[in-house]
Amino acid sequence: MSQPAWGKYGTWEEAESYLGKVIGEDVGVDAIELGSIRRWLEPKEFDCALHTSREAAQAAGYRDVVAPSTMVFSYGLPAYWSPGDAPAKMGDEPRQIPIPVIFDVPAPCTLSFASNIDMEFFAPMCVGDVISRTSRLASIEHKELRVGKGAFMTQEDTYTNQDGDTVAVVLLTIFRFVPPEREQG
Amino acid sequence: MDMDVHRGMDSIAVGDEIGPISIPITLQRLVMEAGANRDFSLIHHDADVARATGAPDAYMNTFFIAGMFERLLREWMGYRGVINSITNLRMKVFNTVGDTVTFSGTVSALDNDSRTVVIEMRSATGNGETVTAEATITLPA
Repeated sequence: MSQPAWGKYGTWEEAESYLGKVIGEDVGVDAIELGSIRRWLEPKEFDCALHTSREAAQAAGYRDVVAPSTMVFSYGLPAYWSPGDAPAKMGDEPRQIPIPVIFDVPAPCTLSFASNIDMEFFAPMCVGDVISRTSRLASIEHKELRVGKGAFMTQEDTYTNQDGDTVAVVLLTIFRFVPPEREQG
Repeated sequence: MDMDVHRGMDSIAVGDEIGPISIPITLQRLVMEAGANRDFSLIHHDADVARATGAPDAYMNTFFIAGMFERLLREWMGYRGVINSITNLRMKVFNTVGDTVTFSGTVSALDNDSRTVVIEMRSATGNGETVTAEATITLPA
């Protein structure tokens, strides 16, 4: 399940200089609201009144309608276009989702695959909340696999709400590598 | 979803099966999902781009898969359960257009004092197991 990396190219020394540092942060462009929750439930045929009814959510102990926990990724995303941005032109590179900021870390790799995701949830996200994401480079573990030589690179994404409460922490591990015939000396 | 589902520790045991639930993957559903979760990577809605990366067709993204695991857990545990974590989510095989993806789980451990339950989860298609993950949930007293 490897795919062409759109990551920056550089040395392992450069990559390791990012360890523990913030490599990306965003403030979610939209506050949590019923329409975005409903559109997220729709393709999953997910029927749960906690996510649609204030009465049901409050009966279960929440202050208002609660968003599904795994929506945290989407609510931490910035806009793909904002007023004042340059207009798009035919032939522009497609916009990539800005969460895998591991690709902003230079590394001597040409391919990658997502290896592992761990999500831990700490607080509910309710209607009106605004979610922010701060990403740090957590670890680099060098490894030689059948597909090539590279490293498992893990970013730790901390999602917080407008009050500074931690809503979720996500560890995303991606193996960035070069296939054997393209290894650099 | 039945409003009356309130699963408690007294009604479960290690080895209990959860689900299955299933969803047919069409290009339209992937497009609906991309609009909702805002991951517009082309591999998840453009068959040519997906094939150029080695996949047989456009395929489900991580957010969609995680959301289906959340639905699986929610429908089983009811309104008062809480999802603490979904870990070790590993994608093994693509879930592509034309697949019907089935999600299921098995209770693998429980702790009556903390009311926590560990569930091994998996998705599968006609090609076998496609994604595995582990969830920890807390059930109400």
